[in-house]
Amino acid sequence: MKSKLYPFFVGLVFVLLSYGTYQGLVAAPPVEELAAGGEAQRIFYYHVPAAIVSYTLFFLNFVASVIYLFKRNPAVDAFAVTTAEVGVVFASATLALGMIWARYAWGHWWAWDMRLTTFLILWLLYVSYMLLRKAAEAGSSPIMASALAIIIFLDVPFNYMANRWFRGNHPEPVTLASPALKYALFSNMIAFLAFAAVIVWFRYTLERVEQRIAAVHAQRAAQGMLSLALPAVIFFQTSHGNPIRYTYAGYTVAWVIYIGYLLLLTRRVARLKREEQELRRDL
Amino acid sequence: MSSSILKLTIANVAKDLRLEWRSRDVYNSMVFFAVLVVVIFSFSFEPTSEESRHIAGGLFWVAFLFSTVVALNQSWARELRNGVLDAYRISPAPPEALFFGKVLGNFIFVTALECLMVPLFVVFYNLSSAGSLWQLLLILVLGTWALVITGTFFAVMSIRTRNRELMLPLLLIPLSIPAVVNMVKATSNVLTADFSAVPHIKFLAVYCVVFTTACFLLFETVLNAE
Repeated sequence: MKSKLYPFFVGLVFVLLSYGTYQGLVAAPPVEELAAGGEAQRIFYYHVPAAIVSYTLFFLNFVASVIYLFKRNPAVDAFAVTTAEVGVVFASATLALGMIWARYAWGHWWAWDMRLTTFLILWLLYVSYMLLRKAAEAGSSPIMASALAIIIFLDVPFNYMANRWFRGNHPEPVTLASPALKYALFSNMIAFLAFAAVIVWFRYTLERVEQRIAAVHAQRAAQGMLSLALPAVIFFQTSHGNPIRYTYAGYTVAWVIYIGYLLLLTRRVARLKREEQELRRDL
Repeated sequence: MSSSILKLTIANVAKDLRLEWRSRDVYNSMVFFAVLVVVIFSFSFEPTSEESRHIAGGLFWVAFLFSTVVALNQSWARELRNGVLDAYRISPAPPEALFFGKVLGNFIFVTALECLMVPLFVVFYNLSSAGSLWQLLLILVLGTWALVITGTFFAVMSIRTRNRELMLPLLLIPLSIPAVVNMVKATSNVLTADFSAVPHIKFLAVYCVVFTTACFLLFETVLNAE
């Protein structure tokens, strides 16, 4: 939590993300199969890591919720909120990226395929979790949210079983034949897990700060965060050739979602700072 | 101890039924709401066609899900007046008895609603089942239980939030999708007799067992959340 490590970690994430994006956009060899979408297949290097990140975070949310019910420690609760919220952000990016790819490869944005349906429902479930957190009274909110998180987690396997007879349009989990593809995927996977970790870290600090309105830590966290907004600029370039445009659009949309979320967080930091100043003036 | 839980449960159900019998405010609004849904749905497609057998399962459970939400919201809102719920929380009575009583009471209300809705569907959509009726009955009982158990649990959660009635459908609908999908599939399979409904019925049974256990275990925590 000590913020000396924080700028270093943000820098590392920046490097990893740039490297992963380079691997995905340039270094990875194009996939020949037309069904994969040609150049649009490169969306895959952002789509799959985002999905893995959201699954990981939702699982951590469940673990934190169970621990909270036993220990009633506000720090654990802060971690639960954080993982659910950041998980929803990454799940939204997964959905958006998948839809853009599908528009090119299938010709339509959405199909009621098993994996799409279950993922959409998963997204809905965690949005409802966030809504409950917002609507509940301050005191009871963490406890009720923990109970809901456990119920949601129990619902996930049923969700998969219930939708199993939808016809499968979604490409099978790729046992990536070429090591170059595998490399591009895994470098992105690591980059996005680190990216998620840095956002969770930031969001967690923010939540703790909100828990005890002592907003001193938030300022230092905010400075490191601004540098993360830079990679977006790289993707706002125009290009010709049809499928690759979908890849660029997908990458851009994913970054709009991530950066939009980060901007929301920085606005929250600003609000907290104002609040802190008002508190000081009152003292 | 267990006999006292049973006694308290019966007392809770009896109280709910007596209140409902005297006022009939839940049942009347629920029934009228269900009738409205049935009528509105009939405008979305040609109800006399052969197709209705394929679609009726979906329509029935969606109509039913919405009417259940109306009933569930009412059942806990009643306990909020005059601080009844708080009184219950400070009393030594086990909270499981309260929850079980509420679930049973809601189950009875909603089953009564079904007894009215099924004939309505048969009449308005010219339904006749190609499959066996006892399977249909089993699906009705399991499906109702699945919705009522999670619904009652979420209803107590949502009346304790700021936007009380609004919260319940937001929590219940996403979570009950797996159950609803199976109710719809099972019902359609029985009505058309094209496929076996047994795997879906088994699914519903497992769903009911898992969520009944989870809701019972978590109810006290939610009720006493402060």
